[in-house]
Amino acid sequence: MNTAGNMRIGPFEVFYPTMQPFERPRTNGGQQFPGKLFVVEGIDGSGKSTQLSLLHKWLESRGYGVVFSTWNSSPLVKDTTKLGKKKKMLTPATFSLIHATDFADRIERSILPLLKAGAVVLCDRYIYTAFARDVARGMDNKWVRELYGFAMKPTVAFYFRVPLETAIGRLVTARDGFKFYEAGLDLGLSDDATESFRLFQGRILAEYEKMIPEFGLTVIDATLPVEVQQAQVRQIAKTHLDRAKELRIRP
Amino acid sequence: MRKTYGKPLPGMKLADLSGKLIVLEGTDGAGRTTQINLLKPWLEEQGHAVLDTGMTRSPLAGEGIRRAKEGNNLGRVTQSLFYATDFVDRLENEIVPALRAGFVVLTDRYIYSLMARAIVRGMDTAWIRSIYGMALVPDAVFYLRLGLDALIPRVIFSRGFDYWESGMDVFPGHDMYENFRTYQAALLAEFDRLSAEFNFEIVDASKDAEAVFSELQGKVGRVLGGDSRKEYVAKKYERPFEIVGDLWRETNVSELEMLLRSAAAHVAIYGYADAGMNGNGNGNGSGHRVAQAK
Repeated sequence: MNTAGNMRIGPFEVFYPTMQPFERPRTNGGQQFPGKLFVVEGIDGSGKSTQLSLLHKWLESRGYGVVFSTWNSSPLVKDTTKLGKKKKMLTPATFSLIHATDFADRIERSILPLLKAGAVVLCDRYIYTAFARDVARGMDNKWVRELYGFAMKPTVAFYFRVPLETAIGRLVTARDGFKFYEAGLDLGLSDDATESFRLFQGRILAEYEKMIPEFGLTVIDATLPVEVQQAQVRQIAKTHLDRAKELRIRP
Repeated sequence: MRKTYGKPLPGMKLADLSGKLIVLEGTDGAGRTTQINLLKPWLEEQGHAVLDTGMTRSPLAGEGIRRAKEGNNLGRVTQSLFYATDFVDRLENEIVPALRAGFVVLTDRYIYSLMARAIVRGMDTAWIRSIYGMALVPDAVFYLRLGLDALIPRVIFSRGFDYWESGMDVFPGHDMYENFRTYQAALLAEFDRLSAEFNFEIVDASKDAEAVFSELQGKVGRVLGGDSRKEYVAKKYERPFEIVGDLWRETNVSELEMLLRSAAAHVAIYGYADAGMNGNGNGNGSGHRVAQAK
């Protein structure tokens, strides 16, 4: 596509620049960077954040330079997302795009340079969350995957698989009420927030199931005791950390 | 039936978007805004309802983009996607509803500018095209083309050099003038390529604003005039009972017959009702001309 060279525009001869080729997803596996990228995925209430924070503690205690990145946390973009959610302005398309924008900012300014520097990057939710939610909202499967074409493949993507009822049971006792978009109330599946949440999360769960073979997600049985799951996670992470830098300084 | 470049968005109905979507494209400083400010009142005088819209004007993302551009840490992928969010918000909440209500939508830049900016910044062309697959194919794209030599004095003597318009985020070095030239030249080259691909109508923007305006008046008039009749017939044909009532009052019987026949012929040929009267040479916005032509 963009090749360097001189180009005539009207009376001018200008230099048309060559940029670094755009980084494409599947050709750009995390492996080629010195850093490691571990991501956790799963529906709300699957316990993935607990597991990630335990992994975080362990990696730190072993001296790795660990950085944590959560969904929806870009300082440039998150206010816009908040505005859209608060005022219920988001459609499935803009919901998808604003989350992709947030993710892009975190990739460009944090995740990618950190991986190049040799850090261990932990992401609570990654592109698979977007694929599951956006497709559950009716966006085109291929379009969403292409949209996130700039993302690098994680070293390991852990998927915490849990039956819907177990997850809902954990959430209902833990907090009061669901948020509008979280419960998929924008889709009009049901007027009742809990019922809508159930239906929406059911769709998301189905999308995750399809992605296990598509992206080779590493499935962890999230109904097992926390300690057992964490032992599995650490075991798997360990096999990928052989050549990772042990940085004695916390970034 | 209106078309999109790729797959339409879920839930977006394309069938009844009867308004006109007119795009003004061109690089920074080509005079797009000036022309829209002239075209809008002119169209309204003629009785058209007009919506004008443009980049970063969405209630959702406009403010966020402005704030992000104040700093120096807006990356190229983030930038491309932020603009896409702004575009889709306006597409779904402004452009499509206005077209459905029969408005003339004048848009200051469209997906082409967004694609050109992203491509010049090294984004994958297939990637950026796929994102904008849901964009409606406009009724016309007028490309206000201004060469680099004409562009530079306009920018220097109006608002001065802008960080982003000078591509300071793309090119190395600190020379704003050199970077402006290189960046705008690359944009022009990209626009020229898009122009061929997407059938832009090129308007020479180096002429004075009045001359450009009168050229645009002619072109916009053609887009609106030729099609208002076509739409009228297509609409009436879908509701045969009203055809008789309406046309009986304002035309004579033979004209009615002719309209029906030609509409039916178009359905037969093209498979849909809004194929129009232009192909017959009858479509000129006036029902009475049909009778005269006969």
